Amino acid sequence: MRTLGLIRRGTPTRPHDLWTRLHARLHEADDVVRVSLPALGWREAVALGTALGIVALVPDPLGFLVASGIL
Amino acid sequence: MLRRRELLAYLVGAGTAGTILVGPYTLRLVAGEIYMPGRAIPVAPVVLLPILWGIWNLIWARRHPHVSIGVWGSLFGFLGASGINAYLALAGIWFPAAVLLVAFLPVVYWLLWRLVIGPLNEALGVEGDRS
Repeated sequence: MRTLGLIRRGTPTRPHDLWTRLHARLHEADDVVRVSLPALGWREAVALGTALGIVALVPDPLGFLVASGIL
Repeated sequence: MLRRRELLAYLVGAGTAGTILVGPYTLRLVAGEIYMPGRAIPVAPVVLLPILWGIWNLIWARRHPHVSIGVWGSLFGFLGASGINAYLALAGIWFPAAVLLVAFLPVVYWLLWRLVIGPLNEALGVEGDRS
């Protein structure tokens, strides 16, 4: 009995907090993603104006996009 | 060997194009009925767009081209517009206004890649060390 007791004392207790640890690890991996948009400036305005201008230039805008296969 | 960063780049490109396609598909159905009733709408391979966007973004992540993400996207738009023109010509349904696509698509793609793909790439760590 004495030997058995020594063995028991020498064996580390099994962790009972596996679920808690898993939760903690998942929480660590699930970090927040911060998407930062570039500042909108004159280049974006020119690009948007150009795209809209081209569509406006075509006599039949939707027809143009459909026939081109974009829509 | 495919790196994690490159796979992420593919998924960003494919996911973005796949999401955006909802708009054109819906408009296509409506506009096709209004503008081309009873006529067959040219079947451009738009269903391949997510795959192509994914591959183009993967190449961006792998090759580290010395241009901005917007310019990289507009180059793709230019190639796409040229391809569509070639397709229309080969199919015998080319029309003069189709030339405007060569200016239109690169500009739209510049905006989309600069404002959507670029920020997503940065947020998810696709950019990596671009030195």
